[in-house]
Amino acid sequence: MSETARYEVERRIRGSIVLTAAISLYSAFIVWYFTVLEGVNTEEVFEELPPAMVDAFGIESLSTIEGFLGAQIFNFVWLLGLGLYFAYMGGGIIASEIESERIDVLLSFPISRSQLFLEKFASILFPILVVNTVGGVAIYGLVLAVDESIDLTHLLLAHVLSIPYLLVCAGIGGVFSVAVNRTSVAEKGAVGVVFVLYLIESIVGGADEYDWIQYLSPTQYYEPTPVLIDGTFEFIDSAILLVTLLGLLLLGQIIFSRRDL
Amino acid sequence: MNGMAKIDLDGLTKDYGGVIANDQLSFRVESGEIFGYLGPNGAGKSTTIRMLLGLLKPTGGTARVLGADIRDEKSLIEAKKRIGYLPAHLGFDDGVTGERVLEYHAGMKGDSRLHELLEIFTPPIERPVREYSTGNRRMLGLIQAFMHDPELVIMDEPTSGLDPLKQEEFNEFIRAERDRGTTIFFSSHVLSEVRRVCDRVGIIRQGRLVELEAVETLLTRSGKRVRIHAADEVIPQLSALDGVVDESTFPGGVQFIYTGEINRLLRELARYDVHDIDIKEPPLEDVFIHYYGERTEEKSNQWNPNNE
Repeated sequence: MSETARYEVERRIRGSIVLTAAISLYSAFIVWYFTVLEGVNTEEVFEELPPAMVDAFGIESLSTIEGFLGAQIFNFVWLLGLGLYFAYMGGGIIASEIESERIDVLLSFPISRSQLFLEKFASILFPILVVNTVGGVAIYGLVLAVDESIDLTHLLLAHVLSIPYLLVCAGIGGVFSVAVNRTSVAEKGAVGVVFVLYLIESIVGGADEYDWIQYLSPTQYYEPTPVLIDGTFEFIDSAILLVTLLGLLLLGQIIFSRRDL
Repeated sequence: MNGMAKIDLDGLTKDYGGVIANDQLSFRVESGEIFGYLGPNGAGKSTTIRMLLGLLKPTGGTARVLGADIRDEKSLIEAKKRIGYLPAHLGFDDGVTGERVLEYHAGMKGDSRLHELLEIFTPPIERPVREYSTGNRRMLGLIQAFMHDPELVIMDEPTSGLDPLKQEEFNEFIRAERDRGTTIFFSSHVLSEVRRVCDRVGIIRQGRLVELEAVETLLTRSGKRVRIHAADEVIPQLSALDGVVDESTFPGGVQFIYTGEINRLLRELARYDVHDIDIKEPPLEDVFIHYYGERTEEKSNQWNPNNE
Protein backbone atom coordinates (compact mmCIF):
# COMPACT_ATOMS: atom_id res chain seq x y z
CA MET A 1 0.00 0.00 0.00
CA SER A 2 1.39 3.36 -0.83
CA GLU A 3 2.03 6.22 1.58
CA THR A 4 -1.07 8.31 0.92
CA ALA A 5 -3.49 5.38 1.09
CA ARG A 6 -1.80 4.16 4.28
CA TYR A 7 -1.96 7.58 5.86
CA GLU A 8 -5.62 7.98 4.94
CA VAL A 9 -6.51 4.49 6.21
CA GLU A 10 -4.92 5.29 9.57
CA ARG A 11 -7.11 8.33 9.83
CA ARG A 12 -10.18 6.23 9.14
CA ILE A 13 -9.53 3.60 11.81
CA ARG A 14 -11.38 5.33 14.62
CA GLY A 15 -14.42 6.16 12.49
CA SER A 16 -14.56 2.60 11.18
CA ILE A 17 -14.56 1.17 14.71
CA VAL A 18 -17.36 3.49 15.82
CA LEU A 19 -19.41 2.75 12.71
CA THR A 20 -18.98 -1.00 13.08
CA ALA A 21 -19.83 -0.92 16.77
CA ALA A 22 -22.98 1.09 16.10
CA ILE A 23 -24.13 -1.27 13.36
CA SER A 24 -23.39 -4.33 15.48
CA LEU A 25 -25.47 -2.90 18.32
CA TYR A 26 -28.31 -2.14 15.96
CA SER A 27 -28.08 -5.68 14.58
CA ALA A 28 -28.22 -7.07 18.11
CA PHE A 29 -31.38 -5.08 18.71
CA ILE A 30 -32.95 -6.35 15.46
CA VAL A 31 -32.07 -9.99 16.15
CA TRP A 32 -33.48 -9.70 19.68
CA TYR A 33 -36.60 -8.05 18.30
CA PHE A 34 -37.06 -10.96 15.90
CA THR A 35 -37.30 -13.32 18.87
CA VAL A 36 -39.90 -11.06 20.47
CA LEU A 37 -41.99 -11.04 17.31
CA GLU A 38 -42.02 -14.83 17.02
CA GLY A 39 -45.58 -16.03 17.16
CA VAL A 40 -46.92 -12.74 15.87
CA ASN A 41 -48.09 -13.05 12.30
CA THR A 42 -45.95 -10.32 10.81
CA GLU A 43 -47.08 -11.05 7.30
CA GLU A 44 -50.51 -9.84 8.29
CA VAL A 45 -49.16 -6.64 9.79
CA PHE A 46 -47.52 -5.70 6.53
CA GLU A 47 -50.43 -6.66 4.33
CA GLU A 48 -51.95 -3.33 5.23
CA LEU A 49 -49.01 -1.42 3.79
CA PRO A 50 -49.18 -0.08 0.21
CA PRO A 51 -47.39 -2.43 -2.22
CA ALA A 52 -44.97 0.34 -3.25
CA MET A 53 -43.75 0.66 0.32
CA VAL A 54 -43.34 -3.09 0.74
CA ASP A 55 -41.32 -2.97 -2.45
CA ALA A 56 -39.28 0.04 -1.35
CA PHE A 57 -38.18 -1.60 1.87
CA GLY A 58 -37.66 -4.96 0.28
CA ILE A 59 -40.04 -6.57 2.71
CA GLU A 60 -40.38 -10.15 1.54
CA SER A 61 -40.86 -12.69 4.21
CA LEU A 62 -40.57 -11.25 7.63
CA SER A 63 -41.41 -14.41 9.50
CA THR A 64 -38.05 -16.01 8.67
CA ILE A 65 -34.81 -14.73 10.15
CA GLU A 66 -33.36 -14.25 6.65
CA GLY A 67 -36.29 -12.16 5.48
CA PHE A 68 -36.33 -10.18 8.70
CA LEU A 69 -32.60 -9.40 8.58
CA GLY A 70 -32.86 -8.60 4.88
CA ALA A 71 -35.51 -5.98 5.49
CA GLN A 72 -34.40 -4.55 8.81
CA ILE A 73 -30.63 -4.67 8.50
CA PHE A 74 -29.60 -5.07 4.90
CA ASN A 75 -32.19 -2.90 3.18
CA PHE A 76 -32.17 -0.28 5.88
CA VAL A 77 -28.56 -0.19 6.95
CA TRP A 78 -26.51 -1.57 4.08
CA LEU A 79 -28.47 -0.37 1.10
CA LEU A 80 -29.70 2.97 2.40
CA GLY A 81 -27.69 3.89 5.50
CA LEU A 82 -24.25 2.78 4.40
CA GLY A 83 -24.91 3.83 0.81
CA LEU A 84 -25.52 7.37 1.98
CA TYR A 85 -22.68 7.20 4.51
CA PHE A 86 -20.08 6.22 1.94
CA ALA A 87 -21.41 8.73 -0.59
CA TYR A 88 -20.88 11.34 2.12
CA MET A 89 -17.40 10.04 2.86
CA GLY A 90 -16.50 10.08 -0.84
CA GLY A 91 -17.66 13.69 -1.05
CA GLY A 92 -15.03 14.68 1.49
CA ILE A 93 -11.90 13.11 0.00
CA ILE A 94 -10.68 16.01 -2.13
CA ALA A 95 -13.10 18.86 -1.36
CA SER A 96 -12.01 18.91 2.28
CA GLU A 97 -8.37 19.22 1.22
CA ILE A 98 -9.22 22.10 -1.08
CA GLU A 99 -11.34 23.88 1.50
CA SER A 100 -8.67 23.60 4.20
CA GLU A 101 -5.91 24.49 1.69
CA ARG A 102 -4.07 21.28 2.57
CA ILE A 103 -4.16 20.51 -1.14
CA ASP A 104 -1.17 22.85 -1.66
CA VAL A 105 1.07 20.65 0.42
CA LEU A 106 -0.35 17.40 -0.96
CA LEU A 107 0.30 18.47 -4.53
CA SER A 108 3.82 19.64 -3.71
CA PHE A 109 4.55 15.94 -3.30
CA PRO A 110 5.96 14.13 -6.33
CA ILE A 111 2.63 12.46 -7.04
CA SER A 112 0.11 12.96 -9.82
CA ARG A 113 -3.36 14.28 -9.15
CA SER A 114 -4.81 11.02 -10.45
CA GLN A 115 -2.79 8.99 -8.01
CA LEU A 116 -3.70 11.24 -5.11
CA PHE A 117 -7.37 10.90 -5.99
CA LEU A 118 -7.23 7.13 -6.40
CA GLU A 119 -5.28 6.54 -3.20
CA LYS A 120 -7.58 8.71 -1.16
CA PHE A 121 -10.54 6.95 -2.70
CA ALA A 122 -8.99 3.54 -2.03
CA SER A 123 -8.81 4.32 1.67
CA ILE A 124 -12.62 4.16 1.76
CA LEU A 125 -12.30 0.46 1.05
CA PHE A 126 -11.00 0.04 4.59
CA PRO A 127 -14.20 0.98 6.47
CA ILE A 128 -16.22 -0.89 3.85
CA LEU A 129 -14.25 -4.07 4.53
CA VAL A 130 -14.26 -3.63 8.31
CA VAL A 131 -17.97 -3.02 8.55
CA ASN A 132 -18.71 -6.01 6.33
CA THR A 133 -16.28 -8.39 8.00
CA VAL A 134 -16.86 -7.49 11.63
CA GLY A 135 -20.53 -6.68 11.06
CA GLY A 136 -21.02 -9.98 9.23
CA VAL A 137 -19.37 -12.01 11.99
CA ALA A 138 -21.44 -10.16 14.58
CA ILE A 139 -24.71 -10.83 12.74
CA TYR A 140 -23.86 -14.52 12.34
CA GLY A 141 -22.93 -14.82 16.01
CA LEU A 142 -26.09 -13.02 17.10
CA VAL A 143 -28.30 -15.26 15.00
CA LEU A 144 -26.68 -18.37 16.53
CA ALA A 145 -27.01 -16.87 19.98
CA VAL A 146 -30.80 -16.74 19.71
CA ASP A 147 -30.91 -20.35 18.52
CA GLU A 148 -31.80 -19.44 14.96
CA SER A 149 -29.76 -20.39 11.91
CA ILE A 150 -28.83 -18.68 8.70
CA ASP A 151 -27.01 -20.02 5.66
CA LEU A 152 -23.42 -18.89 5.99
CA THR A 153 -22.83 -18.73 2.23
CA HIS A 154 -25.90 -16.58 1.73
CA LEU A 155 -24.85 -14.20 4.48
CA LEU A 156 -21.33 -14.05 3.08
CA LEU A 157 -22.72 -13.29 -0.39
CA ALA A 158 -24.95 -10.52 0.93
CA HIS A 159 -21.86 -8.86 2.38
CA VAL A 160 -19.53 -9.43 -0.56
CA LEU A 161 -22.09 -8.17 -3.08
CA SER A 162 -22.55 -4.99 -1.06
CA ILE A 163 -18.92 -3.98 -1.67
CA PRO A 164 -19.28 -2.94 -5.35
CA TYR A 165 -22.52 -1.16 -4.46
CA LEU A 166 -20.97 0.80 -1.61
CA LEU A 167 -17.95 1.66 -3.77
CA VAL A 168 -20.25 3.11 -6.43
CA CYS A 169 -21.93 5.27 -3.78
CA ALA A 170 -18.49 6.43 -2.63
CA GLY A 171 -17.55 7.01 -6.28
CA ILE A 172 -20.51 9.36 -6.75
CA GLY A 173 -19.16 11.23 -3.74
CA GLY A 174 -15.67 11.18 -5.26
CA VAL A 175 -16.86 12.92 -8.41
CA PHE A 176 -18.59 15.62 -6.35
CA SER A 177 -15.44 15.93 -4.29
CA VAL A 178 -13.25 16.99 -7.20
CA ALA A 179 -15.90 19.13 -8.85
CA VAL A 180 -16.60 21.58 -6.02
CA ASN A 181 -14.49 23.51 -3.53
CA ARG A 182 -16.64 23.18 -0.46
CA THR A 183 -16.75 20.00 1.56
CA SER A 184 -20.33 20.44 2.70
CA VAL A 185 -21.53 20.98 -0.86
CA ALA A 186 -19.75 17.85 -2.10
CA GLU A 187 -20.99 15.72 0.79
CA LYS A 188 -24.58 16.91 0.60
CA GLY A 189 -24.61 16.69 -3.18
CA ALA A 190 -23.43 13.08 -3.13
CA VAL A 191 -25.86 12.08 -0.39
CA GLY A 192 -28.67 13.84 -2.24
CA VAL A 193 -27.96 12.08 -5.51
CA VAL A 194 -27.77 8.61 -3.96
CA PHE A 195 -30.93 9.22 -1.94
CA VAL A 196 -32.90 10.57 -4.89
CA LEU A 197 -31.81 7.62 -7.04
CA TYR A 198 -32.92 5.27 -4.27
CA LEU A 199 -36.34 6.94 -4.07
CA ILE A 200 -36.76 6.98 -7.83
CA GLU A 201 -35.94 3.30 -8.04
CA SER A 202 -38.49 2.51 -5.33
CA ILE A 203 -41.22 4.62 -6.88
CA VAL A 204 -40.96 3.80 -10.57
CA GLY A 205 -40.58 0.08 -9.83
CA GLY A 206 -44.30 -0.32 -10.34
CA ALA A 207 -44.86 1.97 -13.34
CA ASP A 208 -44.18 0.12 -16.60
CA GLU A 209 -43.84 3.15 -18.82
CA TYR A 210 -40.98 4.67 -16.87
CA ASP A 211 -39.46 1.56 -15.43
CA TRP A 212 -36.20 2.16 -17.32
CA ILE A 213 -35.45 5.00 -14.90
CA GLN A 214 -34.91 2.54 -12.08
CA TYR A 215 -31.86 1.19 -13.90
CA LEU A 216 -30.08 4.49 -13.25
CA SER A 217 -29.95 3.83 -9.55
CA PRO A 218 -27.13 1.78 -8.04
CA THR A 219 -29.63 0.40 -5.55
CA GLN A 220 -31.17 -1.50 -8.46
CA TYR A 221 -28.07 -3.70 -8.65
CA TYR A 222 -27.82 -4.83 -5.05
CA GLU A 223 -30.75 -6.76 -3.64
CA PRO A 224 -29.72 -8.35 -0.36
CA THR A 225 -33.00 -9.95 0.71
CA PRO A 226 -33.24 -12.60 -2.05
CA VAL A 227 -29.55 -13.33 -1.55
CA LEU A 228 -30.14 -14.01 2.14
CA ILE A 229 -33.26 -16.08 1.59
CA ASP A 230 -32.13 -18.41 -1.19
CA GLY A 231 -28.81 -17.13 -2.47
CA THR A 232 -30.15 -15.79 -5.78
CA PHE A 233 -28.33 -12.93 -7.42
CA GLU A 234 -27.24 -11.84 -10.89
CA PHE A 235 -23.57 -11.65 -11.77
CA ILE A 236 -24.39 -8.98 -14.30
CA ASP A 237 -25.60 -6.67 -11.51
CA SER A 238 -22.21 -6.69 -9.82
CA ALA A 239 -20.49 -6.32 -13.19
CA ILE A 240 -22.61 -3.24 -13.95
CA LEU A 241 -21.67 -1.75 -10.57
CA LEU A 242 -17.96 -2.37 -11.15
CA VAL A 243 -18.05 -0.83 -14.62
CA THR A 244 -19.93 2.17 -13.20
CA LEU A 245 -17.28 2.46 -10.49
CA LEU A 246 -14.51 2.54 -13.09
CA GLY A 247 -16.43 5.18 -15.04
CA LEU A 248 -16.88 7.34 -11.95
CA LEU A 249 -13.22 7.03 -11.00
CA LEU A 250 -12.15 7.95 -14.51
CA LEU A 251 -14.49 10.93 -14.55
CA GLY A 252 -13.19 12.02 -11.15
CA GLN A 253 -9.59 11.83 -12.34
CA ILE A 254 -10.34 13.80 -15.50
CA ILE A 255 -12.14 16.58 -13.64
CA PHE A 256 -9.45 16.74 -10.96
CA SER A 257 -6.56 16.80 -13.42
CA ARG A 258 -8.03 19.57 -15.53
CA ARG A 259 -9.10 22.01 -12.93
CA ASP A 260 -7.35 24.88 -11.17
CA LEU A 261 -6.95 24.56 -7.44
CA MET B 1 21.79 21.75 -13.26
CA ASN B 2 24.66 24.14 -12.79
CA GLY B 3 24.53 27.23 -14.92
CA MET B 4 20.87 26.69 -15.59
CA ALA B 5 18.20 28.90 -14.04
CA LYS B 6 16.29 27.07 -11.30
CA ILE B 7 13.14 28.96 -12.17
CA ASP B 8 12.60 30.50 -15.57
CA LEU B 9 9.37 32.37 -16.27
CA ASP B 10 8.60 33.03 -19.89
CA GLY B 11 5.62 35.31 -20.42
CA LEU B 12 3.73 33.53 -17.65
CA THR B 13 0.14 34.75 -17.64
CA LYS B 14 -2.97 33.93 -15.65
CA ASP B 15 -6.10 35.57 -16.90
CA TYR B 16 -9.22 34.95 -14.83
CA GLY B 17 -11.38 36.52 -17.50
CA GLY B 18 -11.42 40.19 -16.64
CA VAL B 19 -8.83 40.00 -13.90
CA ILE B 20 -5.28 39.37 -15.03
CA ALA B 21 -3.63 37.96 -11.93
CA ASN B 22 -0.27 37.51 -13.66
CA ASP B 23 0.52 39.46 -16.79
CA GLN B 24 3.33 38.13 -18.99
CA LEU B 25 5.85 37.62 -16.24
CA SER B 26 9.37 36.86 -17.40
CA PHE B 27 12.32 36.49 -15.07
CA ARG B 28 14.84 33.94 -13.89
CA VAL B 29 15.92 32.71 -10.51
CA GLU B 30 19.54 31.65 -10.69
CA SER B 31 21.16 28.73 -8.97
CA GLY B 32 22.25 29.40 -5.40
CA GLU B 33 20.56 32.73 -4.83
CA ILE B 34 17.90 33.96 -2.48
CA PHE B 35 15.31 35.61 -4.66
CA GLY B 36 12.69 37.82 -3.05
CA TYR B 37 9.34 38.10 -4.78
CA LEU B 38 8.01 41.33 -3.45
CA GLY B 39 4.60 42.87 -3.84
CA PRO B 40 1.65 44.23 -1.89
CA ASN B 41 -1.13 41.89 -0.84
CA GLY B 42 -3.20 40.88 -3.82
CA ALA B 43 -0.46 41.67 -6.35
CA GLY B 44 -0.46 38.13 -7.72
CA LYS B 45 2.46 36.56 -5.83
CA SER B 46 0.60 33.46 -4.71
CA THR B 47 -0.82 33.01 -8.20
CA THR B 48 2.71 32.81 -9.61
CA ILE B 49 3.83 30.37 -6.93
CA ARG B 50 0.77 28.19 -7.38
CA MET B 51 1.36 28.11 -11.14
CA LEU B 52 5.00 27.14 -10.59
CA LEU B 53 3.82 24.16 -8.53
CA GLY B 54 1.20 23.09 -11.04
CA LEU B 55 -1.81 23.94 -8.87
CA LEU B 56 -3.01 26.53 -11.38
CA LYS B 57 -2.68 26.26 -15.13
CA PRO B 58 -1.29 29.27 -16.97
CA THR B 59 -3.51 30.87 -19.59
CA GLY B 60 -0.48 32.12 -21.50
CA GLY B 61 3.28 31.67 -21.52
CA THR B 62 4.96 29.09 -19.34
CA ALA B 63 7.71 28.56 -16.84
CA ARG B 64 10.37 26.00 -16.13
CA VAL B 65 11.11 24.81 -12.64
CA LEU B 66 14.34 22.81 -12.30
CA GLY B 67 14.12 22.38 -16.05
CA ALA B 68 10.57 20.99 -16.03
CA ASP B 69 7.86 22.73 -18.01
CA ILE B 70 5.04 23.45 -15.57
CA ARG B 71 2.45 22.47 -18.17
CA ASP B 72 3.88 18.96 -18.29
CA GLU B 73 2.58 17.16 -15.19
CA LYS B 74 4.93 14.21 -15.55
CA SER B 75 8.15 16.16 -15.71
CA LEU B 76 6.97 18.57 -13.00
CA ILE B 77 6.34 15.58 -10.71
CA GLU B 78 9.93 14.44 -11.31
CA ALA B 79 11.15 17.95 -10.45
CA LYS B 80 9.04 18.07 -7.29
CA LYS B 81 11.27 15.45 -5.72
CA ARG B 82 13.89 18.18 -5.56
CA ILE B 83 11.60 21.05 -4.55
CA GLY B 84 10.59 22.11 -1.06
CA TYR B 85 7.45 24.18 -0.60
CA LEU B 86 6.17 26.23 2.29
CA PRO B 87 2.67 27.50 1.49
CA ALA B 88 1.25 30.74 2.90
CA HIS B 89 -1.44 28.86 4.72
CA LEU B 90 -0.08 25.82 6.47
CA GLY B 91 -2.62 23.07 6.09
CA PHE B 92 -1.88 20.11 8.30
CA ASP B 93 -4.34 17.55 9.54
CA ASP B 94 -5.23 18.75 13.02
CA GLY B 95 -5.95 15.33 14.38
CA VAL B 96 -2.55 13.73 13.81
CA THR B 97 0.74 14.36 15.60
CA GLY B 98 3.55 16.41 14.09
CA GLU B 99 5.55 13.20 14.02
CA ARG B 100 2.95 11.45 11.85
CA VAL B 101 2.81 14.45 9.50
CA LEU B 102 6.59 14.30 9.08
CA GLU B 103 6.50 10.53 8.65
CA TYR B 104 3.99 10.94 5.83
CA HIS B 105 6.14 13.63 4.22
CA ALA B 106 9.20 11.40 4.62
CA GLY B 107 7.42 8.59 2.83
CA MET B 108 6.47 10.89 -0.02
CA LYS B 109 9.73 12.71 -0.63
CA GLY B 110 12.49 11.57 1.72
CA ASP B 111 13.92 12.73 5.04
CA SER B 112 17.70 12.84 4.69
CA ARG B 113 17.94 16.04 6.74
CA LEU B 114 15.12 15.48 9.19
CA HIS B 115 17.23 14.83 12.29
CA GLU B 116 19.44 17.79 11.65
CA LEU B 117 16.42 20.06 11.19
CA LEU B 118 14.75 18.80 14.34
CA GLU B 119 17.77 20.11 16.24
CA ILE B 120 17.25 23.61 14.85
CA PHE B 121 13.46 23.69 14.92
CA THR B 122 11.73 22.18 17.89
CA PRO B 123 7.98 21.88 17.50
CA PRO B 124 6.43 19.39 19.96
CA ILE B 125 6.21 16.62 17.37
CA GLU B 126 4.68 14.09 19.74
CA ARG B 127 1.59 16.28 20.16
CA PRO B 128 -1.37 16.62 17.78
CA VAL B 129 -1.06 19.52 15.35
CA ARG B 130 -4.35 20.87 16.72
CA GLU B 131 -2.47 22.04 19.83
CA TYR B 132 0.25 23.89 17.92
CA SER B 133 0.83 27.62 18.21
CA THR B 134 1.37 29.64 15.05
CA GLY B 135 5.12 29.52 15.64
CA ASN B 136 5.10 25.74 16.04
CA ARG B 137 3.11 25.34 12.85
CA ARG B 138 5.67 27.52 11.05
CA MET B 139 8.50 25.37 12.37
CA LEU B 140 6.76 22.20 11.25
CA GLY B 141 6.26 23.84 7.86
CA LEU B 142 9.94 24.75 7.56
CA ILE B 143 11.02 21.24 8.54
CA GLN B 144 8.83 19.65 5.88
CA ALA B 145 10.04 22.14 3.26
CA PHE B 146 13.72 21.31 3.83
CA MET B 147 13.67 17.72 5.13
CA HIS B 148 14.35 16.03 1.80
CA ASP B 149 17.33 18.27 1.03
CA PRO B 150 15.74 19.99 -1.98
CA GLU B 151 17.67 21.96 -4.60
CA LEU B 152 15.01 24.64 -4.66
CA VAL B 153 12.74 25.86 -1.89
CA ILE B 154 9.69 27.97 -2.69
CA MET B 155 8.09 29.83 0.20
CA ASP B 156 4.94 31.92 0.16
CA GLU B 157 5.07 34.69 2.79
CA PRO B 158 7.22 32.58 5.11
CA THR B 159 7.70 35.17 7.82
CA SER B 160 4.20 36.53 8.15
CA GLY B 161 3.25 36.26 11.80
CA LEU B 162 6.81 35.82 13.04
CA ASP B 163 8.07 38.25 15.67
CA PRO B 164 11.26 40.19 14.76
CA LEU B 165 13.51 37.89 16.76
CA LYS B 166 12.16 34.76 15.09
CA GLN B 167 12.40 36.54 11.78
CA GLU B 168 16.09 37.13 12.32
CA GLU B 169 16.56 33.44 13.16
CA PHE B 170 14.71 32.58 10.00
CA ASN B 171 16.97 34.89 7.98
CA GLU B 172 20.04 33.25 9.50
CA PHE B 173 18.67 29.87 8.57
CA ILE B 174 17.96 30.63 4.95
CA ARG B 175 21.31 32.35 4.49
CA ALA B 176 22.97 29.18 5.76
CA GLU B 177 20.80 27.15 3.38
CA ARG B 178 21.87 29.32 0.48
CA ASP B 179 25.50 28.91 1.48
CA ARG B 180 25.16 25.15 1.25
CA GLY B 181 23.84 25.57 -2.28
CA THR B 182 20.05 25.64 -1.97
CA THR B 183 18.22 28.09 -4.19
CA ILE B 184 15.50 29.98 -2.37
CA PHE B 185 12.52 31.78 -3.83
CA PHE B 186 10.21 33.49 -1.42
CA SER B 187 7.41 35.98 -1.58
CA SER B 188 6.84 38.82 0.81
CA HIS B 189 5.03 42.11 1.11
CA VAL B 190 7.59 43.53 3.52
CA LEU B 191 10.44 45.43 1.95
CA SER B 192 12.72 45.32 5.00
CA GLU B 193 12.42 41.57 5.07
CA VAL B 194 13.53 40.94 1.54
CA ARG B 195 16.27 43.48 1.60
CA ARG B 196 17.86 42.00 4.68
CA VAL B 197 18.15 38.56 3.23
CA CYS B 198 17.67 38.49 -0.54
CA ASP B 199 20.34 38.60 -3.20
CA ARG B 200 17.90 39.75 -5.82
CA VAL B 201 14.36 41.01 -5.79
CA GLY B 202 11.54 40.98 -8.29
CA ILE B 203 8.72 43.38 -7.63
CA ILE B 204 5.20 42.59 -8.75
CA ARG B 205 2.32 44.97 -8.67
CA GLN B 206 -1.16 44.35 -10.05
CA GLY B 207 0.08 41.23 -11.77
CA ARG B 208 2.97 42.91 -13.55
CA LEU B 209 6.65 42.76 -12.94
CA VAL B 210 7.63 46.34 -12.26
CA GLU B 211 11.25 45.91 -11.21
CA LEU B 212 13.94 43.34 -11.16
CA GLU B 213 16.70 44.58 -8.97
CA ALA B 214 19.73 43.69 -6.99
CA VAL B 215 19.09 44.40 -3.33
CA GLU B 216 21.63 47.21 -3.12
CA THR B 217 19.91 49.16 -5.86
CA LEU B 218 16.56 48.67 -4.25
CA LEU B 219 17.97 49.74 -0.92
CA THR B 220 19.14 53.06 -2.20
CA ARG B 221 15.98 53.63 -4.14
CA SER B 222 13.39 52.84 -1.56
CA GLY B 223 14.23 55.67 0.80
CA LYS B 224 13.35 56.18 4.43
CA ARG B 225 10.35 57.66 6.03
CA VAL B 226 11.62 60.45 8.28
CA ARG B 227 9.52 62.11 10.91
CA ILE B 228 11.06 65.12 12.65
CA HIS B 229 9.88 67.24 15.52
CA ALA B 230 11.58 70.59 15.30
CA ALA B 231 11.08 74.31 15.76
CA ASP B 232 8.67 75.78 13.17
CA GLU B 233 11.27 77.95 11.45
CA VAL B 234 13.47 74.93 10.72
CA ILE B 235 10.80 72.96 8.88
CA PRO B 236 10.90 74.76 5.51
CA GLN B 237 14.68 74.32 5.38
CA LEU B 238 14.40 70.59 6.10
CA SER B 239 11.71 70.20 3.45
CA ALA B 240 13.97 71.87 0.92
CA LEU B 241 16.72 69.23 1.23
CA ASP B 242 17.68 67.27 -1.87
CA GLY B 243 16.07 63.86 -1.96
CA VAL B 244 13.03 64.83 0.06
CA VAL B 245 9.75 63.75 -1.46
CA ASP B 246 6.19 63.63 -0.29
CA GLU B 247 6.68 65.91 2.65
CA SER B 248 3.79 66.80 4.88
CA THR B 249 3.84 69.00 7.92
CA PHE B 250 2.05 68.51 11.18
CA PRO B 251 1.97 70.76 14.26
CA GLY B 252 5.55 70.95 15.49
CA GLY B 253 7.11 68.85 12.79
CA VAL B 254 7.42 67.43 9.30
CA GLN B 255 7.33 64.00 7.74
CA PHE B 256 8.86 63.01 4.39
CA ILE B 257 10.41 60.25 2.39
CA TYR B 258 14.16 60.76 2.09
CA THR B 259 15.74 59.10 -0.90
CA GLY B 260 19.22 60.63 -0.70
CA GLU B 261 22.33 59.48 1.05
CA ILE B 262 21.70 58.94 4.75
CA ASN B 263 24.91 60.56 6.07
CA ARG B 264 24.07 63.74 4.28
CA LEU B 265 20.70 63.84 5.95
CA LEU B 266 22.34 63.36 9.34
CA ARG B 267 24.87 66.15 8.69
CA GLU B 268 22.11 68.48 7.63
CA LEU B 269 20.01 67.63 10.64
CA ALA B 270 22.93 68.30 12.96
CA ARG B 271 22.87 71.92 11.93
CA TYR B 272 19.36 72.46 13.23
CA ASP B 273 17.63 72.21 16.55
CA VAL B 274 15.79 68.91 16.28
CA HIS B 275 13.60 67.78 19.22
CA ASP B 276 12.88 64.26 18.12
CA ILE B 277 13.39 62.09 15.10
CA ASP B 278 12.02 58.81 13.86
CA ILE B 279 13.45 57.13 10.78
CA LYS B 280 11.88 54.01 9.41
CA GLU B 281 11.01 52.14 6.33
CA PRO B 282 8.11 53.39 4.24
CA PRO B 283 5.21 50.98 3.61
CA LEU B 284 5.65 49.11 0.36
CA GLU B 285 2.58 50.59 -1.27
CA ASP B 286 3.93 54.10 -0.55
CA VAL B 287 7.22 53.19 -2.18
CA PHE B 288 5.35 52.00 -5.24
CA ILE B 289 3.26 55.12 -5.46
CA HIS B 290 6.39 57.22 -5.38
CA TYR B 291 8.38 55.29 -7.87
CA TYR B 292 5.84 54.00 -10.27
CA GLY B 293 3.06 56.50 -9.88
CA GLU B 294 -0.43 56.04 -8.59
CA ARG B 295 -1.33 53.71 -11.42
CA THR B 296 0.94 51.17 -12.99
CA GLU B 297 -0.67 50.80 -16.36
CA GLU B 298 2.70 50.85 -18.00
CA LYS B 299 5.75 48.93 -17.10
CA SER B 300 8.05 51.59 -15.79
CA ASN B 301 11.67 50.75 -15.62
CA GLN B 302 12.74 54.33 -15.35
CA TRP B 303 13.03 55.52 -11.85
CA ASN B 304 11.92 59.06 -11.36
CA PRO B 305 11.10 60.36 -7.92
CA ASN B 306 9.33 63.36 -9.35
CA ASN B 307 6.99 61.59 -11.67
CA GLU B 308 3.90 62.17 -9.59
